[in-house]
Amino acid sequence: MSILSLQNCSIKFGGLVAVSDLCLEIEADDLLGLIGPNGAGKTTVFNFITGVYQPTSGRVVFNGKDLAGLKPHQISALGIARTFQNIRLFPSLTVYETVQVALRKNIRYGFMQAVVRPNSLFQQEREINETIKEILNFFGLLPYQREMATALPYGIQRRVEIVRALATKPRLLLLDEPAAGMNPAEKNELMGLIGQVREHYRCAVFLIEHDMKVVMGICERIAVLDYGIKIAEGIPREIQNNPKVVEAYLGEKA
Amino acid sequence: MNRHRSKLVLLASLVAAGGLSFLQPYISPYYFQIIIYIGINIILASSLNLINGFAGQFSLGHAGFMAIGAYTASVITTAMNLQPGTTLAIPMFLLALLCGGLIASIFGLLVGIPSLRLKGDYLAITTLGFGEIIRVIIQNLDFLGAARGFTGIAKLADFFWVYAFVAVLIFLIYNLIHSTYGKGFMAVRDDEIASEAVGINVTHYKVVAFVTGAFFAGIAGGLYAHFVTYINPSQFGFLRSFEIVVMVVVGGMGSIGGVIVAAILLTILPEALRAIAQYRMVIYSLLLIIIMLARPQGLFGGGISIKRFLKQNPEQT
Repeated sequence: MSILSLQNCSIKFGGLVAVSDLCLEIEADDLLGLIGPNGAGKTTVFNFITGVYQPTSGRVVFNGKDLAGLKPHQISALGIARTFQNIRLFPSLTVYETVQVALRKNIRYGFMQAVVRPNSLFQQEREINETIKEILNFFGLLPYQREMATALPYGIQRRVEIVRALATKPRLLLLDEPAAGMNPAEKNELMGLIGQVREHYRCAVFLIEHDMKVVMGICERIAVLDYGIKIAEGIPREIQNNPKVVEAYLGEKA
Repeated sequence: MNRHRSKLVLLASLVAAGGLSFLQPYISPYYFQIIIYIGINIILASSLNLINGFAGQFSLGHAGFMAIGAYTASVITTAMNLQPGTTLAIPMFLLALLCGGLIASIFGLLVGIPSLRLKGDYLAITTLGFGEIIRVIIQNLDFLGAARGFTGIAKLADFFWVYAFVAVLIFLIYNLIHSTYGKGFMAVRDDEIASEAVGINVTHYKVVAFVTGAFFAGIAGGLYAHFVTYINPSQFGFLRSFEIVVMVVVGGMGSIGGVIVAAILLTILPEALRAIAQYRMVIYSLLLIIIMLARPQGLFGGGISIKRFLKQNPEQT
């Protein structure tokens, strides 16, 4: 059964219809790509899945639950994590602390216990510490744990952002242009990373990407958006030869 | 993290405060007064640091919270006619302080709510307005002495109680920001959208910062009132709020130690410059300008730089 289902979702900003009547199903073990020319509404789709915007009409159903009216942090708690097109790391936190923040929902204590520090707090903090070390180790970030996240090389920053999203234990991971600005070596590393993520975390991955090598290389299915309308969906080979897609990217034949 | 270290330090500080309080007869009243003001300013600056420095909500209304605490506690102790030295004096004084803190934190909640919608300069102006509203309201309430001020407050605050609250507040902030829970404050300050995306309830953190900060500003107000024994609304004007903000910025927003050092320095500095009376404020402002140019991240710079803070685009999404 599908883990995320977009049912006739539309979103309007004033007179502009950014996304129109979008239907999309994502299975629990899917690796779905979303492509389309600039301004097609791809990031907007991510924004209404994660609660940054509310769709003007239509329903977003995650794991059998309607997401209407939920705030981004509530949607994160349900198991949807995301990265951002232009990396959004916390400038004053280290790599370790960045992952620690993402583990906020693992702790069962609140303000008062944080202040008076009962013994149970240390138990929980120890578990958090172990989890952070484990995650950082798995993704090869342990050497950077004390570095400020924003001071790292670009490719590593992308990695930290993906790891931060994964620390929330998502069942669906949304990646917004993960390969943007990467060199070929970094892109290959990224493709390996995404494979690793699916194997280890068993979550569905839904990614927006412009780099066709990456999209065609790893996605099992691809949906194409143009002017807010889904014009095609299918396996990479079908999409490559779909006349509508070619037209959206290259324009009509003269 | 070391399990009991922070508790031991708290205990040691309380014992030290108790021990040092016996030295009071050997210190001239003028120096003693400065020492008390230093303690009160540390409480004010550190509690504001929680709001401005750690949670990143630029508040300019701290004097308002202080006034609420000062007047609430004074009304209670005066109504009960507490006299220093009587058996009931200390517990009832503490109770009055807590009431002052609680009422201030209720107002902190009220001010915290606009902070959910306003950012940066807009929030600063709103909180500045809040502080002024409080001052003007008090100025027109006759039972609080209106503009004449509130007189006859018992001198119940002493060295021990002021520094006991300093120790408790530092303990609280230290523990808070060294916990996984507390890292959420810095995340909210750095990037609200990214915080929400990893499951941080931004609203919760902002409100907690305002309520806690206001609570301790209220306590500081109560201590101040019961030390000077006379308060009037003009003591809680926006200049007082600015003084506290300056301590936080000079010390380094988000730096516990830096803010304490800045509170000490900036309390002593105007006094030390009394000898050259007419140039006092000129030198004071010059020093601030130099510090901001040379070290925008504050003296200790543990946290974030005021430059980055001001550059932040409020409309940024």
